[in-house]
Amino acid sequence: MEKALEVRNLTVSYGSKIVLRNVTFNIPAGVSVSMVGPNGAGKSTLLKAALGLIERDSGEVDVLGAPFNPRQGVLAYIPQKEIIDWDFPVTVRDVVTMGRGARHGWLGRPGRKDRAAVEQALEKCGMTEYTDRHIRQLSGGQQQRVFIARALAQGARILIMDEPFAGVDAATENAILDLMDGLRAEGRTLIMVNHDLDILDRFDWIVMLNGTLIAAGPMAETYNEKNRRLTFGPTLSEIVRAEQIIAKGVAR
Amino acid sequence: MIEAFATVFDGYTLELAASMLVGTACGVIGCFVVLRGMALVGDALSHSVLPGVVVAFMLAGAGPVPMFIGAMTSGIATSVLINTIQNNSRIKGDSAIGLVFTVFFAVGVILISALPRGTHFDLKCFLFGNPLAVGQSDLWMMVIVAAVVCAAVVLLFHPLRTASFDPVMAASVGINPKVAHYVVMILLAATVVASLQAVGIIMVVAMIIAPGATAYQWTDRLGTMLWLAALIGTFSTGLGFVVSFWQNWPSGPAMTLVAGGLFIFSMLFSPSYGIVAAATTRRRNKQHIAREDLLKALARMPDHVASDKQLAESTGLSRKRVVALGGKLAAKGLVDKLGDGRYRLSAAGDEFAHGLLRTHRLWESLLHETGIDPAQLHPLAERLEHAHELADVLDSRLGSPERDPHGRKIPRPEGKYADD
Repeated sequence: MEKALEVRNLTVSYGSKIVLRNVTFNIPAGVSVSMVGPNGAGKSTLLKAALGLIERDSGEVDVLGAPFNPRQGVLAYIPQKEIIDWDFPVTVRDVVTMGRGARHGWLGRPGRKDRAAVEQALEKCGMTEYTDRHIRQLSGGQQQRVFIARALAQGARILIMDEPFAGVDAATENAILDLMDGLRAEGRTLIMVNHDLDILDRFDWIVMLNGTLIAAGPMAETYNEKNRRLTFGPTLSEIVRAEQIIAKGVAR
Repeated sequence: MIEAFATVFDGYTLELAASMLVGTACGVIGCFVVLRGMALVGDALSHSVLPGVVVAFMLAGAGPVPMFIGAMTSGIATSVLINTIQNNSRIKGDSAIGLVFTVFFAVGVILISALPRGTHFDLKCFLFGNPLAVGQSDLWMMVIVAAVVCAAVVLLFHPLRTASFDPVMAASVGINPKVAHYVVMILLAATVVASLQAVGIIMVVAMIIAPGATAYQWTDRLGTMLWLAALIGTFSTGLGFVVSFWQNWPSGPAMTLVAGGLFIFSMLFSPSYGIVAAATTRRRNKQHIAREDLLKALARMPDHVASDKQLAESTGLSRKRVVALGGKLAAKGLVDKLGDGRYRLSAAGDEFAHGLLRTHRLWESLLHETGIDPAQLHPLAERLEHAHELADVLDSRLGSPERDPHGRKIPRPEGKYADD
């Protein structure tokens, strides 16, 4: 089976603080993955390391069988709502057009083909009638759909979403989950940082993190009491903390 | 003033054109400076080019090429130094910026005082701008640099917009946000260098921020914002140039005042984000709500008749307000004036009040379903009912309920409302 994401021995640290220690796992293509773990477990760090945005101390991340090459546009990132400046002067169309950036790069500009892809992506996400709206004038669910449309315009085969359900109501959450089911049916892989453990049954795969990898695998066999305790219980993060204290030099 | 215009146009065509083109470049790059929150960096760059300019002057004498190279070198050194301090210490960005540029500026000032006696270095021109004192070759440098900056922004519009809006996503499609940062920095430094002798070190940052910030008040599209800012920048430097010539003011402050004036005007009068527009909307809303409350109050009175005093009591509005609103409602045919300050609901007003009540009760039903505190139902619905366009949407969403959570009948659009 093709691997969407292959992480080998990944270690990342900020300054002297190790955030992710020796993480190894695979995600097969065409599944939906929920990435869970307490705050500071290294979920966003893992995603950013996969994108090559932060330096890693060691380890490799392969995307669809090869080191990540951004110019292929296969991997789409959908940011957390809070980090977006919703006053930025862009319309729905402008945001979705950004997805074509991998095609035109630094010196090109979007052409007819790009515009067609943008229209198509908007239609698929049911956003056609909002094309010329400013992003501020959208509901929370519509804002999410704009970013999913951008990922589609990009032609992404893997969608990475950082907490897409933060601050949206239940109906919107369901609508997004339905849209995601459709994308997965087309063979796309969906990787989502997610805090809501009640909707885990909507995913086929889970990655459990707490400073290191606790478990990764199909939901049914992986999400069990023991892994839950290891992920959210204090035990392991205490060990990591103790190690950090030791690393700083207790024995002075 | 007309004479000043004529003199400037005839006698100082190149000076005027160079200044205006510099204004265009300031406006264009300024949009990205405003959106990326780099105004302080702009200020730092403008001050810290001084030592570069002076060293270039010492080594190679006056001339556009050495000046450009010197200024760019110290500008880029500043930005690298700021980043280094930020990344390698616990000092935050604004402190790092404030520290670096003042030290650079101080070095520049000391260097000037160390120039050999009798050397002509016009510090005031650099501080406050004086395009009339600029040599031909320097003017051409300004024209070329400004044109290159504008062209670069147009060419790199899409990647710069993506990297400014969502840097992480930009990285995921191969537009490195760090590269974008340095592109903006270099364009900004070039703009600052080109503007130095027209606008001056102290005022350059105003010419960079003001046009972008002004344009931002008028539009929701980056493309439009760039064009507008370009126009505003060009106009401000042009008009500032002529006024400074006419009144014998330093040119930088004159240009800044024009740009600042335009900004204040926009903040007040922009139709979408202006203070006046917002206040007007608020006032209209308040009036709209008061009128509807008055209608409802009248609908509850026996025989739909009441005096202004009674209406004032039941709505909590002042009597004067009731009289004014009553006049407006009468003009719309929603109430009839009976004389002696008494009003009666007309047939049209009755229908309208009936619609309001329907919306109110539908809102209460919807809010009730969301599990909101029952005590909050009425006050919330009292506000929300004024959005009556939504009545039918609510009705179908709720499955056309017959009664509201208090058990009162919800009027149908065609029927009459009964018990209250």
